[in-house]
Amino acid sequence: MAAILVSLVILLPWLGAITVWLVRNEHPRLQHILAVVFSILTAIASLVLLTAATSETVIHIPLGKAFGDLTFVPDGLAVSLTAIAAVIGSLAVVFSVDYMRGDEQLGRYYFLVLFFIGAMTGLVLSGNLLFTFFFWEITALCSYGLISFYNDDPKAVAGGMKALIITQVGGVGLLVGTLIAFVNLGSFQISDLLAKASTLPAVSLSLIAFSFLIAAAAKSAQFPFHTWLPDAMEAPTPVSALIHAATMVNAGIYLLARFYPAFEVVPGWKMSVLLVGLISALIAALSALVATDLKRVLAYSTVSQLGYMVYAIGAGGVLASQFHLLSHAVFKALLFLAAGSVIHSVGTRDMRRMGALGSRMPLVRNVFMIGALALAGVPILNGFWSKEYILEAGLEHSPVWAYAIMLFGAGLTAFYTFRMVWLVFFGRERDQLNVHQAGSAMKFSLRILALGSFITWLFFGGLSGLLSTTLPFHALEHESTLELVSAILSAPATWFALLVVALGFGLSWVRARGFVLFGGSWLNPFVDTSFGFEWVNDLVVQGISRFAERLRATQTGELNWNIFGIVSALLVVLVVLWMGA
Amino acid sequence: MTFTPLDVILFGVIALLGVGFYGLLITRNLIKVVMVLQILIKAVILALILAGKMSGSTGLGQSTAATVIVADTIVAVVGLALAVQVRRRFGTLDVPKISTLRG
Repeated sequence: MAAILVSLVILLPWLGAITVWLVRNEHPRLQHILAVVFSILTAIASLVLLTAATSETVIHIPLGKAFGDLTFVPDGLAVSLTAIAAVIGSLAVVFSVDYMRGDEQLGRYYFLVLFFIGAMTGLVLSGNLLFTFFFWEITALCSYGLISFYNDDPKAVAGGMKALIITQVGGVGLLVGTLIAFVNLGSFQISDLLAKASTLPAVSLSLIAFSFLIAAAAKSAQFPFHTWLPDAMEAPTPVSALIHAATMVNAGIYLLARFYPAFEVVPGWKMSVLLVGLISALIAALSALVATDLKRVLAYSTVSQLGYMVYAIGAGGVLASQFHLLSHAVFKALLFLAAGSVIHSVGTRDMRRMGALGSRMPLVRNVFMIGALALAGVPILNGFWSKEYILEAGLEHSPVWAYAIMLFGAGLTAFYTFRMVWLVFFGRERDQLNVHQAGSAMKFSLRILALGSFITWLFFGGLSGLLSTTLPFHALEHESTLELVSAILSAPATWFALLVVALGFGLSWVRARGFVLFGGSWLNPFVDTSFGFEWVNDLVVQGISRFAERLRATQTGELNWNIFGIVSALLVVLVVLWMGA
Repeated sequence: MTFTPLDVILFGVIALLGVGFYGLLITRNLIKVVMVLQILIKAVILALILAGKMSGSTGLGQSTAATVIVADTIVAVVGLALAVQVRRRFGTLDVPKISTLRG
């Protein structure tokens, strides 16, 4: 049963991807229908899979010595992320029916989106580290293809290339860690690594732990690799909602949460994780204060919220990070899709040209405000519960100064959220924009996600139950939703945090009333250089691009050179065989 | 040092392979490319017979070799026919010149 469901959630979207591609772009209507049907079937399978969660290996395919056995383990961590990826994936696809209507290359678009959904579910379900790496790389490839989807726009191409190269750095980190683990354990199985972590030499374990941290930071756009995500906003908006807010960027959080029991003993690892999360949360929130591009603000806030999750893992709160991941996936997808409706309707992403759009698109305004309040952490929306839960874990298990900075970050979040909502939907009209209404498919996705922002925190008990019963190495305790509610409402820290959030809102409101909408320009130089870390990213991106340009000389296309390549490769294989593999 | 007949055949196989690969590396004329491919296939046929002899199933090696000879004739014929078409279309048999890929 579980085996069938696991194969379904990986293979259904891939089958859909190929089908939509084969239908060809001459039949856009059929392409839309097929993409929606396949993604919704995947979502249903993923929801059923939630009931079949187990810590056992359900699919086991021996592949010989070099690759290890291909296994799939649908435990709590995996099935919850699968459900998030598949459900939000299907909503993004439904949204695309309106958003991408009239595009001439639907086949390529839906192929990449569906291929991505399958790869993402494979990434979290795989029990073999090497295959986790393969799926990880497929998601990076799809992300690249979708960021550069409008490939006649040089900014989109550059943004895609940057995202690809930076996430490749993370991929190399993952591969290095995987190979070190293989050399020491002789196995690629994740369960083996978790079970035998304490028997590994301390140096090897530290190397694995820190390579995985680099992998996670690059994938989840954390410090110092946080600059690719804002540049990735050239992608079509449903893609930003799905890949760059709700799923792919969570792969790094998943990796840290998955291996937390093995790495927590590594000296300095927890502190490094905590610091990475803290710095990302803070500088991304500061950057969001001055950004004028609607999608960039959302991208910065994504980096900032991912920083909260990383911080939670550094403070030992694996459950807290997963809970916030769930809330964030829902409300950030909602925010992105609502922003997509605005952008689709007015044809610009520049908030300086928007203003007073609220009365002209009331539904979008309402759902956007629900998402924004959840992002700011206002009761009773899901963002409130999960953020308070993280702050509580932080107060108990991290230094007080770290907690104070995260609290300050929560205030900043409220501040920039209010500014964003005000600039787009309220205030006075700053430009003549031609507004047209959102389509029914868009409204459907928005309504579901808005509802989700109200209710997903009720699933806390279920999530906690799943994680505590199916993750043997994490030793999490089961907590019910009721316990969460009483714990959060009775903690004085909660009310203090709410006060900070209210302060953020208040300051932002005062500023907006004073019509100082675009002040704070003293922050701009810092934001433009990503607080001095743009050069790290530039170094990586340009270094690799230059190296690749040199390799271009080997691509002559001449028969003789190709034969030379084939013969040399043959010789290498012969030598390897002769050495006795 | 004495060589058995099998050793001699093995050297023959290696020599033919070397000649074939060297030829593929340096030839630019399409007809010569087809000829060099033929030399390579002859090396393979010889290797099949040798392998049959060494593994004790001589008949199997020889019958496989006979099959390959038939297939290889077709390769030669089709290759030469293509060469004729290329000559008619592009007016040259120089391999680098008939590349229509840009970049």
